[in-house]
Amino acid sequence: MIPLKYNVRNLRVRWKTTFMTVLGTALVVWSSCILFGLVEGLEYSLRVSGEPLDLIVMRKGSSNETTGGFESSKAEEILNLPGIARDEKGQPLAAMELLNIPIAQRRDGTTTNLIIRGVQPASRSLRPDFKVVEGRFLDQGKEECIVSRNLSRSFKGAQLGGELTFGEKEKYRVVGIFTAGGSSAESEIWADLRDLEKNTGRVGTVSCVQLRAATAGDYEKLQATLNDDPQFKLAAIPESVYFESQSRSSVFLKTAGTLIAVLLTLGAMFAAANTMFASVSARTREIGTLRALGFSRRDILISFLGESVLICLMGGAIGLLGTIPLSSLTYETSDFNSFAAVTVAFRFGPLVMGVALAMTLAMGVFGGMFPALRAVRLDVISALRQL
Amino acid sequence: MTKGSHSIELKGVDKEYHRDAFTIPVLTSLDLEVAEGEYLALMGPSGSGKTTLLNLIAGLDRATRGEVIVHGQDLGRLSESEITRWRADNVGFIFQTYNLIPVLTAFENVELPLLLTHLSRRARRENVATALRVVGLSGREDHYPRQLSGGQEQRVAIARAIVTDPYLLVADEPTGDLDRATAGEILELLEQLNREFQKTIVMVTHDPLAAERAGRILHLDKGQLVGDVIQGGRVSAAS
Repeated sequence: MIPLKYNVRNLRVRWKTTFMTVLGTALVVWSSCILFGLVEGLEYSLRVSGEPLDLIVMRKGSSNETTGGFESSKAEEILNLPGIARDEKGQPLAAMELLNIPIAQRRDGTTTNLIIRGVQPASRSLRPDFKVVEGRFLDQGKEECIVSRNLSRSFKGAQLGGELTFGEKEKYRVVGIFTAGGSSAESEIWADLRDLEKNTGRVGTVSCVQLRAATAGDYEKLQATLNDDPQFKLAAIPESVYFESQSRSSVFLKTAGTLIAVLLTLGAMFAAANTMFASVSARTREIGTLRALGFSRRDILISFLGESVLICLMGGAIGLLGTIPLSSLTYETSDFNSFAAVTVAFRFGPLVMGVALAMTLAMGVFGGMFPALRAVRLDVISALRQL
Repeated sequence: MTKGSHSIELKGVDKEYHRDAFTIPVLTSLDLEVAEGEYLALMGPSGSGKTTLLNLIAGLDRATRGEVIVHGQDLGRLSESEITRWRADNVGFIFQTYNLIPVLTAFENVELPLLLTHLSRRARRENVATALRVVGLSGREDHYPRQLSGGQEQRVAIARAIVTDPYLLVADEPTGDLDRATAGEILELLEQLNREFQKTIVMVTHDPLAAERAGRILHLDKGQLVGDVIQGGRVSAAS
């Protein structure tokens, strides 16, 4: 086999074209990783939001929490149903919640919709890794709110000690900043349920009830009761199913991202092919010499394909390294159902790594294939005569 | 496997090239026998077919008709991959423009043919050192071709040609790019390889002084042998 150092040193000799190709590949991999990192982040936030024993109870026919709503009296009865898990103080792990989507102002002066969720104390335990990281949890009936860390960075008045005002009636003092394990709750502001009912004029109504069953058996029974009992006639949806149905925006992003990545990869393939064609052309006599010395067509093919893959792998590695500074960033997008702002953290997990590797190999192998085949097909005698 | 007692045998060899609708004959009805350990110079005007003949003997090209038998092997019967392997095992190449790989050092250039063998790294290192010593370039292992003179580059190329201890050395104008003094040194080295290591050498040259170093000179013209001079004055019949 032709030694790898032959390829490495040739790349070094033609460092300018090598550098440009590596840079192009790196940019393609970097931009694609950002797209897929965003999709991964969005999917992750929905995935971790679904606990296996949790149910979301909404009005029958509602597709999501923001469009439903039913009477508080029914909701209160749900809280007392048997089979609901209890916390260490014996309180049921179930909470009535009310959603409002007012217009909020970002720090840069632009506006967008935001989700304010009216919660009860049990709401905390129903979110994964819920943690108040600054300040404290809100007190009931005091017009207080807590804000996710993501939102506190980008919205006016959303910092600890600040004041959030929506319209004429809604005014909340920010007493805490929270995180919730990357779940969808990290795109929300939480206020007291009763305060929100009062401020929005929706007393006696809830958007949903979130609850956790004590056991798998209770889970089945609760679901059957809530769905079929004439007393309720509601939709008790497993949390995982609910969040899966909310992932339409990620499907769109994934499709668009894949299309863009494929197009960019095709472009980078041409760049790699161009570099390798030039390389084969400049080394025609060397190829002839290697063939005369006894290196087979296969050796030549592997050598030039390897060189192409090597260039693209360097680009891929640089592109992937370039995403490291972005891993702590968040991105704001809109939920397709509520049009509320959703804050997503970039995630560069196995999907993104896999995409980067696949793109890199595709660019290297397919970009290098035609030049390598050209090298293989060279007539030895003609190649030896090349100046 | 052995078909004849000679090192190289060509029987009724024709070589034609096709360009568009035209057939261009390069070698016509060529018969040739070269003994083992013989040092043969091929001379003739441009286009006489001497390099084509060299390429046929070296397994780089195939005869249109006839048989080319080298060291008992009928080259026409070998497949593409078999003849590639055969070249690696049996032929050492020396080119006019040296054809060293510019990004590899002298050591690495000489080592290249050994990468096609099953020799250990250590054995390869020893063989390379021996080859470089034979051509008088010990101590230049780490030099790149651009750091060597033309004569030294050709010595590295010769070291590369002999490192696998091939049966046959083919040289295409090995002194064509060198000054007279350096050319003399290279020719001396080739003579030494023939004399001391009994290598069969076939050399194409335009230079009568270079040809005189060979034991036998073949003259070609228009694809046919027109003279066969065995040094020492004897002239054999040319076909």
